[in-house]
Amino acid sequence: MKHAKKRMDKKTLLRNILITSLILGFTTAGSFAFYNFTDNADNVAILYILAVVFTARFTTGYVPGIIASFFSVICVNYAFTYPYFSISFSLDGYPLTFAAMMIIASLTSMTTTHLKEKNRILNEQEKLLMEAEKEKMRANLLRAVSHDLRTPLTSIIGTSSTYLDSGPSFSEEEKCQMVQTIYDDSNWLLHMVENLLSVTRIRQADAHVTTSLEPLEEVISEAVSRLKKRLPEAKVKVSIPDDFIMVPMDATLIEQVIINLLENGIYHGNSDAPMELTASVSDGQAFFRIRDHGQGIREDLLPHIFDGYADTPTSSGDSRKGMGIGLSICKTIIMAHDGEIWAENLPEGAAFTFTLPLGDEPYES
Amino acid sequence: MNHKLTVIIIEDEKNICTFIETTLAAHDYKAVSAYSGKEGLSYITSLCPDIVLLDLGLPDIDGMDIIRKVREFSSVPILVISARIGESEKVQALDAGADDYITKPFGTSELLARIRTALRHSQMSANAPKSVEASYRSGDLTINFEKRLVTIADQEIHLTQIEYKLVSLLALNAGKVLTYDFIINHIWGPYADSNNQILRVNMAHIRRKMEENPADPKYISTEIGVGYRMREPDN
Repeated sequence: MKHAKKRMDKKTLLRNILITSLILGFTTAGSFAFYNFTDNADNVAILYILAVVFTARFTTGYVPGIIASFFSVICVNYAFTYPYFSISFSLDGYPLTFAAMMIIASLTSMTTTHLKEKNRILNEQEKLLMEAEKEKMRANLLRAVSHDLRTPLTSIIGTSSTYLDSGPSFSEEEKCQMVQTIYDDSNWLLHMVENLLSVTRIRQADAHVTTSLEPLEEVISEAVSRLKKRLPEAKVKVSIPDDFIMVPMDATLIEQVIINLLENGIYHGNSDAPMELTASVSDGQAFFRIRDHGQGIREDLLPHIFDGYADTPTSSGDSRKGMGIGLSICKTIIMAHDGEIWAENLPEGAAFTFTLPLGDEPYES
Repeated sequence: MNHKLTVIIIEDEKNICTFIETTLAAHDYKAVSAYSGKEGLSYITSLCPDIVLLDLGLPDIDGMDIIRKVREFSSVPILVISARIGESEKVQALDAGADDYITKPFGTSELLARIRTALRHSQMSANAPKSVEASYRSGDLTINFEKRLVTIADQEIHLTQIEYKLVSLLALNAGKVLTYDFIINHIWGPYADSNNQILRVNMAHIRRKMEENPADPKYISTEIGVGYRMREPDN
């Protein structure tokens, strides 16, 4: 415990002194009141024991507890045992009382100090774990990014160089197909870059975003129209509440989340039925639910679906359809809004739901 | 008619200039590229273009300054080319006098549509600054400006005074994005609260009256953080 004492700075010392004197002062005042009231001093010792326990609990180190018990013993001896207001060490059993109080004080101090120490270690360990987790996520994301970016780039560079090298030998139809591939892959690349850029809107310091009140319907409609611009054949059935609802958010980011989830459903659902996007409000939260009527999510992927590089080694190498970064960015964005996001399998198809807190004044008067 | 419409492209990325030039040339425009702001400004004074495409991130002059300088002597339509993220930049450019913006990357059809809209509006105000069109028609929606009548599939839509003002303002500028501030200025006057909540509530009412599905609007689209845009009229 020597190093604990060494580390104890002036502030802790002052705090210890203050707490100890306050507790003892209150106890002494209480004891006098109690004594005057009942004319009985037998229970005063118990009050002091309580004071000692409290002192040991709320101060740092052993010293305050021991000082408190010392003071208590003297006090009880001096004021509350016969002969009153004089010190006498010849009372029957007095050494025993003294020893008992000392032991109680030391034990309590020891226990609480030990507990505090343990707590600190636990906290530190937790912090380290969280750091490691963050580091892991960052590494995963980076790996996913470089993988996901390289794939369309490889295709674009490969296709265009083939075209340039031996263009004349291809038929018009083949040429068209090649340019179409380049077009599709560049669009996919753009989508990815937009996703990555969106994350830069999240503040590094507290991992949150600057929000403003936005009408729910405008955000949804813009997201859907942006999706349709890129995927004209996409079918989305949208339904929103009749009320006009404003939700605090960063609209650009929430649009990105909606687009990612819709696109995820379109690519993975493998279904011709339209996607469904439903918004609702309950319990101070806005719920956005995006569901498809496709084949559902593989059960073993479900727990890790937002982890970034969810693709297991067994999944096909076709990363174009792996929404690796897309979904993990959705999670990052929703977390930055203090919302929640989850995925589930329904009897037919899968559903992604995310919530946004409505804040204090969701409704426009 | 032999006279081709002249477009000046001010953009420092040669690849993008080439792409736009090729596209425009294929659609019978005369396109001239300027790779710096200075060059662009001198072309605008010497060539008297019909429209200017302006990238905001130029190496020598800030895009906003170019807009302000051009507006000192010319009302040529300016179409700003901007990045996706940065609503404030778009709003600033529009409020400085740009006519519209197009977000990078864009497709050919989108670019041509924006150019046509901007040209249409500039010709309209040049030819007949006073008399406005008598009506607007797009899909099932018809607005008769003389009778102040809005119908959808021949069914009259009942709008309040403010709502009608909003719809007609957007319809007169159809195809063009109007910023929140611009709309508020026009409807509620220059001293109105700059908080755009009241505008957005009114737009929500209009959507509920005019659109089949307010969450998937056909006529008035939202550009969050910037403003609203009404669909181009059918010709």
